Amino acid sequence: MRRVVISGVGPVSSIGIGSTAYADALRAGRSGVSPIAGFDTEGFPYVMGGEVHDFDPGLYLTRLKAEEWGRASLFAAAAARLAVADAGISEAELATAAAGSCMGTTAGESGVLERVTEESLAAGGFGGVPPEWFRQVSAARLSLAVNRELELTADAVTLSNACSASNYALGYGYDLIRTGELDYAVVGGADSVMRWSHAGFYRLGALAERVCAPFDRDRSGIITAEGGAGLFLESRESAEARGARVYAEVLGYGMNCDAHHMVVPERASVAECMRLAHRNAGIEPADVDYICAHGTGTETNDLTEAGAVGDVFGAQPPPISSVKSMLGHTMGAASGHGAIAAALAITHSFLPPTINFSTADPEMAPVDPVANIARQARVDIAQINGFAFGGNNAIVILGRPS
Amino acid sequence: MTAAARQAAHPGGTEVPAGALAITGFGVVGGAGIGPEPLAGVLAGHRQAPAEPGELFEDDLPGPEGHALTGFSVREHLGRKGTSFLDRGTGLGLLACTLALADAGLDVHDGNRARIGITLGTTHGSMKSTSDYSRATHTEHRPYHVNPVLFPNAVMNSVAGQAAIRTGLHGPNSTVAGGTTAMAQVLRYGRNLIGCGYADTLLAGTVEEFSPQHAWAVRAIQAAEGGDLPPGEGAAVFVVRSAAAVRAAGDEPLAEILAAEVGSFDPPGEDPARYTAGFAACLHRALHRARVRPDQVGTVCTGGNGMPALDGAESRALDEVVGSTAPRIAVADAVGESGAAFGGLQLACVLAAHRAGAQSELFLLSSRSSDGSVGVLLVRTGMRS
Repeated sequence: MRRVVISGVGPVSSIGIGSTAYADALRAGRSGVSPIAGFDTEGFPYVMGGEVHDFDPGLYLTRLKAEEWGRASLFAAAAARLAVADAGISEAELATAAAGSCMGTTAGESGVLERVTEESLAAGGFGGVPPEWFRQVSAARLSLAVNRELELTADAVTLSNACSASNYALGYGYDLIRTGELDYAVVGGADSVMRWSHAGFYRLGALAERVCAPFDRDRSGIITAEGGAGLFLESRESAEARGARVYAEVLGYGMNCDAHHMVVPERASVAECMRLAHRNAGIEPADVDYICAHGTGTETNDLTEAGAVGDVFGAQPPPISSVKSMLGHTMGAASGHGAIAAALAITHSFLPPTINFSTADPEMAPVDPVANIARQARVDIAQINGFAFGGNNAIVILGRPS
Repeated sequence: MTAAARQAAHPGGTEVPAGALAITGFGVVGGAGIGPEPLAGVLAGHRQAPAEPGELFEDDLPGPEGHALTGFSVREHLGRKGTSFLDRGTGLGLLACTLALADAGLDVHDGNRARIGITLGTTHGSMKSTSDYSRATHTEHRPYHVNPVLFPNAVMNSVAGQAAIRTGLHGPNSTVAGGTTAMAQVLRYGRNLIGCGYADTLLAGTVEEFSPQHAWAVRAIQAAEGGDLPPGEGAAVFVVRSAAAVRAAGDEPLAEILAAEVGSFDPPGEDPARYTAGFAACLHRALHRARVRPDQVGTVCTGGNGMPALDGAESRALDEVVGSTAPRIAVADAVGESGAAFGGLQLACVLAAHRAGAQSELFLLSSRSSDGSVGVLLVRTGMRS
């Protein structure tokens, strides 16, 4: 089996686009939350989101025509472009190599489907909707957008495992490279802010009014957010031969399914997923220096996650912070944004903070959330948690490149 | 069976290439009906007239015909408990999973449930459930007056998550949004899960529900590509394990998946030669992976769906790599333009014919989407003596 490294990252997020801007924002503890502009929020009690207001696909994409693709596909392709540029590998090399992509998503191109639906209401039926819009609905297009933008000819896989999908995608890309199926893979995820999902999370009671405050006693829910996460993977030998800068090595990952409830996470199953990830990565809990939390900021998630961390790590777990406090919940891109944050934490020796933190929750197993201010710390091994609707847990372990 | 007899009985060779999967049971539901019997004659040219599903929905359909299972009721098959709020696709998928487990005789218990996973292919999950959610934000008194109980249906991993709950499977649970090429992607993903040791057994399949949204999307894409195939639906789920492990245990599977290869290219529109070359390379990879020669392929099930540019490019790639001797069958003529369900139904047609008594054979199953993805499966039937 080959060893696999991350040699390029491409975050497209509400707190910054590109490796440098994103790292700076994480270190500064910046919030990307603002009033939603992507749809008409009139009548919604809560109107905040983590949108990428300044996203201009034309700045990043050279082959795709933006008008032919939905917003999530454009996020995916732009993130992939950025990751490849960050890796410094030639496009000609990628186009002739065994190279593909695997992108995760929660809602795919349901932003397009929402537009189709709204037009059908205005036009008195789906027959009045411009037919070309229907072509953009397939979620398979997220990874195809990446492959077509970069002229990759191998796998184009879209994993729609909801809010841990990027971790599944990262894991699959890692496997495809370590087993020799692929030489290069762009992995990550993408999603966009939409009216229907904003309404759904509100009705579930999972939406926060103003801020996302993970692990805080007074946390009240998520902030719906969007963006793309791209990570460029290759074998360690390939990166060495290119003289590439390496952010982190992918040590392994674990996945399992609660098989319990569609939207309520289960502590024992989440803890078991951590153990699987540690076993597959060949590490012990004590080796983990930093946990990039799923950390949605809902009552249930944070309680369950902290409890499971306590079950696996004991009374003094490593620091655990939630980048969702800054970005909002980027859904299918979320664990990809977490993985990029963890890779940057390893490279630049800092822990991203959990912002909006004021009071520890006495009901919760004790955690160190890296409250409000980034911390200098050497990170040799980082754990990225991802949990999702459908009980889809996936946890990735990254290590300092040796 | 002796090695010589096995060789004689299996024209596609008897070797088990590394990573091959064995199918030990399957469940299928489609416009033609429930179970394999309605599909048993599809490879022999049997065509069932499409239904007229218009009365199932309030929204208009683009045409009267659709390969939809009009009488389907999830409650009738799976009972009332836990089924009240399921959408159509989830119902079809759960039924196919249940049928597959029973067909394989797979007993799920505490000793194996963590090692059995689910990987299901889709296009967008339930387009209707998501679209209905968007609609409700405009038509209800308040934009947030949506039904929270229905929210999971609108998210794309609903079928896989519900199937895990119903069957008690804790292994890796994934949803692959691959559209018409989803089955090849699912089996390639499944090879990895089993080959790398994440799971021992998988429920691997694809699901697509019939809905007005699906029907209009089919109409729009078919029309743009010069075709007129009616929409279809279905769910086909296969119980798969390592082929080597099944052989080592002395079991005879229904079939073995010798190769599952995928590719992605710019659609043939502007540069058909380049697309065909890419498709051909994918076919070569599959044959190489399966360790079989082109002349060992008995039947080719194509992705043909009446889209001239894609049909032509696929044919040219097949001519180049496999030759034109082996008969070619376009299963979509019988099952309709059924999105992600297509690949599952294609494979189910092969197994249904085999179960109905067809000779063992090496099949090549190809699929492609109008967005540029390609999938190739090499399937050897007849391992069950």
